[in-house]
Amino acid sequence: MQRTWTKLDWVMVAVTLALLGIGLVMVHSASSVISAQKFHDAYFYAKRQLLWAGLGLCFMFLLSNHDYHQLRRFAPHIAIASFVFLAVVLIPGIGQIRGGSRAWLGIGTFGIQPSEFAKLGLIIFLAHHLADARDRMQSLWRGFLPPLLLAFTAVGLIMLEPDLGQSVVIMGTTVILLFAAGARVAHLAGLVGVGLIGFAGLVAAAPYRVNRILAFLDPWQDPLGNGYQVIQSLYALGSGGLVGLGLGNSHQKFLYLPEPQTDFVFAILGEELGFIGCAAVLALFAVLVWRGFRTAMFAPDDFGALLAAGITGMIAVQVLINVGVVTGSIPATGITLPFISFGGSSLTLMLTGVGILLNISRQTAYRVA
Amino acid sequence: MRVTRGMMRRRFFILMLSLVTAIGALVGRLAYIQAIQSPWLQQKAYDLWRRDIPLEGKRGDILDRNGKVLTYTATAPTVIAVPRQVKDKDAAARKLASILGMPEQKVRDLLGRRQLLVYLAPGDRRITEQQADQIRALAIPGVYISEKGKRVYPFGTLAAQVLGITGADNQGITGIEKEYDSVLQGRRGSITLFAQANGERMPDTGEQYVPPTDGQDVQLTIDVGIQQFVEREMEQAVAEYQPDRATAIVEDPKTGEILAMANYPSFDPNHWQDFPPNTYNQNLAIWQTFEPGSTFKVVTLSAALQEGKVNLNDRFYDPGYYEVAGHRIRCWKAGGHGSESFLNVVENSCNPGFIALGERLGKETLFSYIRRFGFGSKTGIDLPGEGNGILFKLNQVGPLELATTAFGQGVSVTPIQQVMAVGAVANGGLLMQPHVVKAILDHDSGEVVKTIGPTVVRRVISEQTASQVRQALESVVANGSGTNAYVEGYRVAGKTGTAQVAKNGHYEAGHYIVSFIGMAPADDPRLVAYIAIDNPHPKDRPVFGGQIAAPIVGRILADSLAYLGVPKSDDGLAKKPKWNDTPMVEVPNFVGMTMDQARRAALTSGAQLRTEVHGSGNYVIWQSPQAGQKVPDGSTIRLYLGDVKPSG
Repeated sequence: MQRTWTKLDWVMVAVTLALLGIGLVMVHSASSVISAQKFHDAYFYAKRQLLWAGLGLCFMFLLSNHDYHQLRRFAPHIAIASFVFLAVVLIPGIGQIRGGSRAWLGIGTFGIQPSEFAKLGLIIFLAHHLADARDRMQSLWRGFLPPLLLAFTAVGLIMLEPDLGQSVVIMGTTVILLFAAGARVAHLAGLVGVGLIGFAGLVAAAPYRVNRILAFLDPWQDPLGNGYQVIQSLYALGSGGLVGLGLGNSHQKFLYLPEPQTDFVFAILGEELGFIGCAAVLALFAVLVWRGFRTAMFAPDDFGALLAAGITGMIAVQVLINVGVVTGSIPATGITLPFISFGGSSLTLMLTGVGILLNISRQTAYRVA
Repeated sequence: MRVTRGMMRRRFFILMLSLVTAIGALVGRLAYIQAIQSPWLQQKAYDLWRRDIPLEGKRGDILDRNGKVLTYTATAPTVIAVPRQVKDKDAAARKLASILGMPEQKVRDLLGRRQLLVYLAPGDRRITEQQADQIRALAIPGVYISEKGKRVYPFGTLAAQVLGITGADNQGITGIEKEYDSVLQGRRGSITLFAQANGERMPDTGEQYVPPTDGQDVQLTIDVGIQQFVEREMEQAVAEYQPDRATAIVEDPKTGEILAMANYPSFDPNHWQDFPPNTYNQNLAIWQTFEPGSTFKVVTLSAALQEGKVNLNDRFYDPGYYEVAGHRIRCWKAGGHGSESFLNVVENSCNPGFIALGERLGKETLFSYIRRFGFGSKTGIDLPGEGNGILFKLNQVGPLELATTAFGQGVSVTPIQQVMAVGAVANGGLLMQPHVVKAILDHDSGEVVKTIGPTVVRRVISEQTASQVRQALESVVANGSGTNAYVEGYRVAGKTGTAQVAKNGHYEAGHYIVSFIGMAPADDPRLVAYIAIDNPHPKDRPVFGGQIAAPIVGRILADSLAYLGVPKSDDGLAKKPKWNDTPMVEVPNFVGMTMDQARRAALTSGAQLRTEVHGSGNYVIWQSPQAGQKVPDGSTIRLYLGDVKPSG
């Protein structure tokens, strides 16, 4: 069936470009000290991020002009490829360890994270699978558990790296997709219950974990250990105050705050641009979430709707976890802030995801009209 | 049930709403952190970034009452380096080493240390002003000039426990140094820098300079002159009697000002680390508690006179003991003093007589006077480490306890409490609070910032009673057990004490604390002086306060009153000659005579005076003792010769 594509969702494009721009500036500002220290080049991270942004924009452009239905044909292949890469990266000698996780494939300082692409791969496959499952979605064994099992497999592989952050994002996105596809609330509640029981089991096996997990409630109990990053992050946000110290004027980036350009870039943003800057960025994300679900609501078919919901859900979950950690609101979990944190795989993947969203939104108009 | 498209849409809407709400919650959380918690977090972050290089304010001086400097701070520039901020360490080390005259390698090593601060200096850290200027001129990043002070005590051991000691950071640890630490210390200043987490200087951040404030001077009530008399006497007593410990106090009874306070063993605060800790940690004069013995009888006597329980002319018979609750408490004199007046009881320090006074007063009244005289509680002197002393609890006092307390056993008191109690008698019945600080002065201008005036604690006895007690005590010196404290021309009143030392519930054999507390002139006392000598070992005389301690107090009072210019008077009681007393003769004047004339004059004076000649020359230019003084017959007069005949 030939469809008439409408024009781009310019709001989504503008919001994405704004976030990307803010991200590039903040990555440069936050990383300048650590770049100069490590690589004797204050622009080291900024230049790379710019490169990835260019690549990501290319993907975004390509996919926004590419009918998303074709993705569905390759959904099983994409899923298989994702799982293969998740397994391959675990092989010593092939996968590289960075920051304590064997999560990287690559050469030299360039590297890609299979887990990032697996997230999108899994969303595509689950959207494909769930789009045909409306009849059995309310059944536990035939509808609810199979996609869940698939997600658990991915999480199992990622936890071998280990990478808690990506695992949590995948679980969160999967739950969103299951809910969107019409799973019973009772089943979802049961899943949460099982999760709690599992957590209790882990705690019973090793009570010290409670302290580590609950360290975020009072980071000052262990200021040089578990609480260190959160405290440094709060110092950055707190010294920023309402209006911030001004772009480039962060003190905490002078090696006090670890990973200022990746997981904690939002803290430096808060220090330099203040509450106003933070609130503006979160508002942009809120707009993105709105446009994403609007796309889902008006998508031409179930696959498109679930794909849009999954991609938007993933972005939202990452924002909530990242900012939750930076503000000390949830236990520390390493995950990037979409479009803003330094990280080639993450940035490329996010822009690719927005490209898909844009394409879905371009196909909504004729149904709305 | 089939999932409908409508249901999915509803769920998309619910998801959107929940996720946007969650983002909203994070905005709320950020508002809390960045608006409400911000000042607190900002302060903590600021403390994290800043590095303070301390600049010391100069510690104030401690002066005696006449302005003599007892302690001052010698300061000199000192070089501080923040190693992480010194970029070119080799070049810096080369330049600094040549200015400081240190081995280059040593400077390089110091600059390589992983410390916030290192001091660069040969020997004791301090350098000359020229060196400091040269280093300032180099303007090496990370190298700073600060001032470092060292406490100097020009009089060495003088009044060491009163002055106290300071630690490595010039903080007061004991004595006045501790008690007035905040006054002396001044305020620290600092150079505040912002540092990166790795210690390097944060670029494009300035430095804040907070200048230090010098401390203020503390002027003591101590008089170096009197303190020196006291310490001289104490040294002689130590040399003669090899006691374990000794302590002495001189007080101005009208103001409560302490004019001298000395202890043995002592120490030199310039290098206190070389002395045993008990010498610098304890000020015996205010810390040590012991049974006072007979000096305490002053309290019993005052109470009995004030309450009208005795007339000093009343007769008392001392058979050598006093029976209390079936026990015979013996008088110190075997066989007793027989029939005597109560004045004799005081003169003789007769224990049975004082037991009788105690019984007449009753325990409530006696103990109430004891407390009112300040025993059992701190005097509140402005020195750290004061003792309380111990009194019997009233419900534990039976007849026996009442009896022993009346003559000074079974109570435990500090030297300063005794001085203040007797000081009250000297001061017409008003108990004063003792103090050793007279004023706080501005260091630069010398202006008085604060004066510490006399503080009356309470009236203990009436002026008439006080006067009566003083008369009795003058009689003790003139006629009784304190006769060795007698000073011709100065009316010394006082009381001896010989206390046994209890250890593990028993009195130690042969271990006594002998003491004497005296005042002069008796009609209007200017000074109260006290000495206690713990465990003296005299070679040729019995261990009695009257024998050992009384003459020391006599000499201290005589020298101090002369030093203060207090005129002598003849109104006092004449000393009662004893069978072994040699008659006193008056010294004639020899000054201005030739040697021949002087010898003739000495022979014709009717006394058998010997002369001892010092120096050479034709004329006597000075003599000691001075003309008109009374000396024992047969004394030696020293004559100093010179070539010029003195005029007048």
